[in-house]
Amino acid sequence: MSVLDYIWLGILAVFQGPEAFSIFGLAISITVIMVISGFFLGILVGATPGLAGPVAMAISLPILISTFGYNTDALLPVLGFLIGVMKGATVGGAVPAILFNTPGTPDAFMTTLDGYPMAKRGEAKRALRIAHFSSVSGDTFSDLVLIIGAPFLAIMVERYLDLPEKTALLILSLSFISAVVGGSVGRGLISTGLGLLAVYVGTGEDFYPRLSVGTQTLAQGFPISTSVLGVLIIGAVFKELDDLRSDQRASRMKPITTSDTNSALTLAERIKLAPTIFRSAVIGTVVGALPGIGSTLAATLGYTAAKRRHDDAEGGKFGEGVPKGIAATEAANSAVSGANLMPVLSLGIPGNAAAVFLLLAMDSISGFNPSPTVFKFDPVNLNPELVMAFGIFTTMFLANALNWTVGGRVMRSMGFMIRIPKHILLPSVLLLTLTAIYVQETRIEALYFALGFGVLGYLMRVFGISPLPFVIAFILGAKLEETARQAYAATGNDPWFLFTHPIAAVFVALSVGVMILTSRKRGSV
Amino acid sequence: MGPFYFFMTPNKFTAVIFLVFAIVVLGVWIPNDVETGLLEKMRRHWVIGDSLAPTLAAGFVLFGAALILLFEKRDEAQFTMAAAQFVFFLKLVIVILVALSVMRHLGPILINTYAAISGLELEYRLLRDVIGVKHIGFLIGGMIMIGGMIAVVEGRLSHRALVIGLIWSLVLILVYDLPFEDLLLPPNGDV
Repeated sequence: MSVLDYIWLGILAVFQGPEAFSIFGLAISITVIMVISGFFLGILVGATPGLAGPVAMAISLPILISTFGYNTDALLPVLGFLIGVMKGATVGGAVPAILFNTPGTPDAFMTTLDGYPMAKRGEAKRALRIAHFSSVSGDTFSDLVLIIGAPFLAIMVERYLDLPEKTALLILSLSFISAVVGGSVGRGLISTGLGLLAVYVGTGEDFYPRLSVGTQTLAQGFPISTSVLGVLIIGAVFKELDDLRSDQRASRMKPITTSDTNSALTLAERIKLAPTIFRSAVIGTVVGALPGIGSTLAATLGYTAAKRRHDDAEGGKFGEGVPKGIAATEAANSAVSGANLMPVLSLGIPGNAAAVFLLLAMDSISGFNPSPTVFKFDPVNLNPELVMAFGIFTTMFLANALNWTVGGRVMRSMGFMIRIPKHILLPSVLLLTLTAIYVQETRIEALYFALGFGVLGYLMRVFGISPLPFVIAFILGAKLEETARQAYAATGNDPWFLFTHPIAAVFVALSVGVMILTSRKRGSV
Repeated sequence: MGPFYFFMTPNKFTAVIFLVFAIVVLGVWIPNDVETGLLEKMRRHWVIGDSLAPTLAAGFVLFGAALILLFEKRDEAQFTMAAAQFVFFLKLVIVILVALSVMRHLGPILINTYAAISGLELEYRLLRDVIGVKHIGFLIGGMIMIGGMIAVVEGRLSHRALVIGLIWSLVLILVYDLPFEDLLLPPNGDV
């Protein structure tokens, strides 16, 4: 079988999968319907301040699993829906940023800098069009790089990385995340350490479940949904409510209406924005391919790079309503999502919160285990995981096609979402999250765990500690220990296996190096 | 900076908290609550023991706290925590705990009470498939959770907040429970 055969089978798996209904005899596959539904839901939640793509992904996952089951047939509809949400939310996040000066998603913060001033000048619709055009361009670019890059990354991993190197790579990923996410290296390390500690409770190889304090409750460990949703979503709900308490002004602010009539972007304007969009798309893609950094940093880097090259005399000052400012931010943060799937698909290492939920879905449903073997081109025997991988890529491009065609119109019509009062929305999200956890775990203890992790997530945010390293460490912790155990055994009980294998040693050196460099850089700012 | 931070910079306060936590984990929790050491001899082979991974995890926390203490204690990234903020947060947590408790126990209590009054042999567990009975705890618990949290933010309990809570709980019942036979809402997985 050639590469083209695999690609074609992947496309067919999406369009000729189980039928949802037919129109004039033409069968519409359930995967297509799920991508469309996810995409519209994503725009809706992205446009709602206080909600974000991962919230919708987390809450819909148990419903999706319950509807489609755990077998391989469920994979594309479920992942298609989640990918649709992820992409829709990225676009939708710009709506409140521009109209309300409040980012719908954290990575849209930089969009407020030029988007809101443009909206205040009466160019709200135009600003939204720029945001949409840049976002979808960056996203599509990133997806192309993913399709080309992921198989190569997988081949490199398979060829050069054995167990010691894989252990070192996981350490490098965690160090990298610790160093670059959040307020400081120290805080990142604390977050990572807490995540690892939490995942090691109630596990281990001994008969006695470690760190369980002799209780049956802790002996089963913390379910992944309680820790991830607790720290990420419940913690965020607490923090948002807290911010609301301290800043009542924001809830009374009137949104800006989108009444400007001449808002269309001409071809010349699009061409003028193209270099900025391309530069930011490259930045976002590179950042996205590295685990843990995420779209917020990509947006910041994209914006800074565009600002540095911008001539104030030509189009006004950055921060005062310059279209390039919006384009730079939106292209960069949207370009993260595709590239972020590179480490997810080929290594099983999530790079951001959205990737965490995609990985959880892949773990729950059988038939697709993210690893280098996914991209093994077998010319004789069919590799079903590779077909699925191309199916996943097809759903991404389907979502992109929706984004190019109807996404802008839908996005611009979402301004009403900012009128939902946050202090009503957030408790509703909390109950929704707890319900989603209960239907997965079916025991009330899980809700207390989730609440506990929510309190932890809130306190971490208060202390300026990013919860993302915690979540990623929680997900990778078991894998890190297992790989280390295997590497130790495979190297004949060599306690120095991380240093005696050259590539592993380089990864360890990089882990230390990235922390020192980040500390020094922060110290010199 | 106020007395809350015990006359330290907030960053130093953060570092001290996590330093103490890491030391307790390394010195007390791991040695007393993990059966095997860092490395163990099993069948004449050395293997990695169960203590190694949590020790490294606590080491991350310790190292992070030490970094803040040594290099970042006067950084710009300082947190603030006022007493009013703490009280507000505490109120939210109490509301949620009360709501979860209602969610868990209201249905069984109502059925037991009715059984005691009527003299019928009734048990919640046997009635948990009955529409209404199986929803009562979630409905009222959800209403208390949402209504209570809104009340904490608004500073007063309103009928509107409780109605919103009731409606949203109903919506969740319609979304999660009615279409799916295998999904259970609280407390029906516990009883």
